Amino acid sequence: MAFTAGIDIGTRMTKTLIYNTDSKEIVAAVIDLTGHNLGAAAQRTFDAALAKAGLKAADIGYVATTGYGRYQVEFRNIQITEISCHSKGALKLFPKTQSVLDVGAQNSRAMRVAPNGRVTSFRMNEKCASGAGRFIERVAGALEIELDQFGPMSLKAANPQEISSVCAVLAESEVINHVTEGQEIEDILMGANNAVSDRIVALLRQVKVEPEVTLTGGVAKNAGMVKALENRLELSLNVSELSEYAGALGACVFASERLAKMGQRVAA
Amino acid sequence: MSVSLQQHLQRCRKVVYDMNFTYVDAWRQQHPQGKVVGCFPVYIPREVIHAAGMLPVGIYGGGLEIEIDRADARVQSFICSISRSTLELGMSHYLKNFDAMYFTSVCDVARNLSGVWERNFPSVLVEYIHFPQNMESKSSVPYYSGEMRGLCQNLERIGNVTITDEQLRHSIQVYNENRALHRQLTTFKQENPGKLDASELYLLQRAGACLPVEEHTAMLREVLDELPRREGKRRDRIRVVLEGAFCEQPPLELIEIIEEAGCDIVASDFALGLMWFLEDVPVQGNPLENLARSYLTQSDYSSVRHYGLKRRDYSLVEKVRRVKADGVLFCIAKFCEPALIDYVTHKNTLEREGIPLVNFEFEEKMGVFENIRMQVETFAESILLFA
Repeated sequence: MAFTAGIDIGTRMTKTLIYNTDSKEIVAAVIDLTGHNLGAAAQRTFDAALAKAGLKAADIGYVATTGYGRYQVEFRNIQITEISCHSKGALKLFPKTQSVLDVGAQNSRAMRVAPNGRVTSFRMNEKCASGAGRFIERVAGALEIELDQFGPMSLKAANPQEISSVCAVLAESEVINHVTEGQEIEDILMGANNAVSDRIVALLRQVKVEPEVTLTGGVAKNAGMVKALENRLELSLNVSELSEYAGALGACVFASERLAKMGQRVAA
Repeated sequence: MSVSLQQHLQRCRKVVYDMNFTYVDAWRQQHPQGKVVGCFPVYIPREVIHAAGMLPVGIYGGGLEIEIDRADARVQSFICSISRSTLELGMSHYLKNFDAMYFTSVCDVARNLSGVWERNFPSVLVEYIHFPQNMESKSSVPYYSGEMRGLCQNLERIGNVTITDEQLRHSIQVYNENRALHRQLTTFKQENPGKLDASELYLLQRAGACLPVEEHTAMLREVLDELPRREGKRRDRIRVVLEGAFCEQPPLELIEIIEEAGCDIVASDFALGLMWFLEDVPVQGNPLENLARSYLTQSDYSSVRHYGLKRRDYSLVEKVRRVKADGVLFCIAKFCEPALIDYVTHKNTLEREGIPLVNFEFEEKMGVFENIRMQVETFAESILLFA
């Protein structure tokens, strides 16, 4: 039995999956805060995933890393861009995927993907995080609510407020203005979802929207954001419980393909 | 006691980026009558300088180490960085201990730089070597050996020495030995890419442009002895040939990033000027004629040497196949006309042969590499994951 590992070291969370290349199933999944030491976060989640799967490091035939900390993992076999990994992961989760939206803490990306996982076109957000999860985090922080409450609360909005700022930092003061005006928290939260989704949809339009569209990255856990995106795109998005792990999953699948190829080379 | 590989690498890094040329000062202390000759890339017949008992030192610009201040008043901003920063080295007195400067017919900028040098540094012997352009003419050997005879005479004059044929033969032998070790080191990299980083190979080879050749040869021997015992990194990468007609040198970080982004550089022309000949130069017979004949018939292909009997693009394809490379990276210095002109032919031929390639430009003062990293990473992924 052969196993591979995919490690996605994101700006906020590090995700590690262990994958059985024979059954093509995930055997362990671990997620943890990345913190300031990217290599340590990868090692920590890798060790935890191994313990969960009852495996040793020597049992892992190939380790692929992705995410912004992908170069900081000394024990990797390969590092792969988030663009490729999220596309591959999205296809694994939803095989009819043609477009992928990956919204993480710091970056948003829109990709068009061929059936074999090759990315045919992609766009990324600009340098700041105004179109990504960090924006949502700052709004949550300003309103003193837990991040996991953001989605459910925003779905209760009756009159979403406009948040016009394109800057995550300045949005905070805009949110405070809405609070002092006495606006409902739920409406402000949905306003933040709408503001971010406007920017993400603009990215997707640049690569041309082609259904099915799969949403990956941590922001997929925000049900309010999913609704805002679906309203703008006028279609329903593929969202999975594993959406946040899509990058690590793509890395696992690539790793198993490379392992198989290398095995063929050895056999030849 | 032999010095460890890590210590050798530290020493090479120190020497390569020492713009105060303290190693030259150290050599002068040991050789009070000795003269130091600066060698502008790409290739200089160092044997001639060595035979005169002088120290040839490669001058590859100022890199990230110096700021351009005085040179911009004398040359345009649209020429390559190496020419501007080399002139800055001169104008800002970094080369005050150099007795001569050699330039060659690699491009118009280098040609004009030799003139600028003559005008600004009248006490320095400035040589401009016209390499033969016709590789097949019977006159080329006498012509080029005559050029080198002229170099010898000027060195004899400034050094108050006599250069004998026997000394020249000895120098050819010394450099043959050094070039053979360069070749061994590059073969080691091709066969064991995980055991020697391209940036390490670069430092080990480029130090050969600075150190006395005997010292460099001894160092390469120790390195080659230690390398097989080194533990390799287990990285899954594509194998690439890197081309750049070097001359202007990229920042070391760029080389590191290329490998980090998924490419094992199994062949490059970074050390082209130091290796130059594909085989040993014959030792017996007339030494200058031997050097000239080797230049005409045994030189590696290069954008700064006129076509020999074989086209350069075909030589590149052969190299790709020989080292089993998956693709070619063109890493070309901004404003480098020889490399940019050749790129068109190389690109067409590689595409015709179905060999993937990617092209990017660099400057010696470059500090941000994210675009190049992205290009190289995407290139590697397209081959590794989808080919």
